[in-house]
Amino acid sequence: MRVEVVLFAHLSSFQPDGLGGRHSRTFDLEDGTTIAGVIASLSLPDEPRVIFVNGRHAPESQVLHEGDRLAIFPPVAGG
Amino acid sequence: MADVTDAELRSRLHASRVLIIGCGGLGSNAAEMLVRSGVGHLVLVDSDVVDETNLNRQFYFRDQIGMPKTEALADNLRRIRPGVGLMLVQERVDARTLPDLLPGVDAVIEAVDTAEGKAMVISTCMEARPGLPLVSASGLAGHGSCNAIVTDRIAENLYIVGDLRSDIRDGLPLFASRVMAAAAAEAHAVTRVLLGDPEP
Repeated sequence: MRVEVVLFAHLSSFQPDGLGGRHSRTFDLEDGTTIAGVIASLSLPDEPRVIFVNGRHAPESQVLHEGDRLAIFPPVAGG
Repeated sequence: MADVTDAELRSRLHASRVLIIGCGGLGSNAAEMLVRSGVGHLVLVDSDVVDETNLNRQFYFRDQIGMPKTEALADNLRRIRPGVGLMLVQERVDARTLPDLLPGVDAVIEAVDTAEGKAMVISTCMEARPGLPLVSASGLAGHGSCNAIVTDRIAENLYIVGDLRSDIRDGLPLFASRVMAAAAAEAHAVTRVLLGDPEP
């Protein structure tokens, strides 16, 4: 299945093409892949993050589906 | 919006209720701006007391050191507009308690200081009330250009203010001018949403 993946802020450097930027990349994933599976395959750092699928908040355990748009945002401290 | 009168815009703001989670550099200054702009009701959430180290950027005064921030901020906001509607919540909210504060509010400002807290507020609000506009701040530390602080709509009802990268955990200090720029951007994003302009 094909899923669009957007990584915000410094996470964009973890895109497989290494080019950074916040535009989406198309991932070809095995059926049944979870968000946690994508995070692990990208070796994203273990830090606070917010996850959306198709603009809605989603848990890392959620299974992705064909055509989904996965976005991951890492807030940084200060206020 | 051209056919909407100034009185109608003011009326919309006056009828609105905004939840502000955290009354530090972001929240106290955003609250001041929303009250000056005419927002009618604020829910102020913070568990801390005013400390001398807050005075370099937060909307408090020396004679308020030691007071709960929610009470000190309420006093200051009432000096601007005595009739403003204020609900004070002097506690640290978490994923379990935050949903109780969401019914009846028209927008939320995330104004906590830790990355973990910001992630919790965003995730909890978007899970409990996905249709509720939420403005969060990320990346306002240091003395980088204020031009780098932008307002981004990264999901249907989620706006992020900041440069997305300047982190106090990297040892960057907080300057009043840049913190207040981010607070102003948060307050203005909420104002626009309340007035029916959802694009940042």
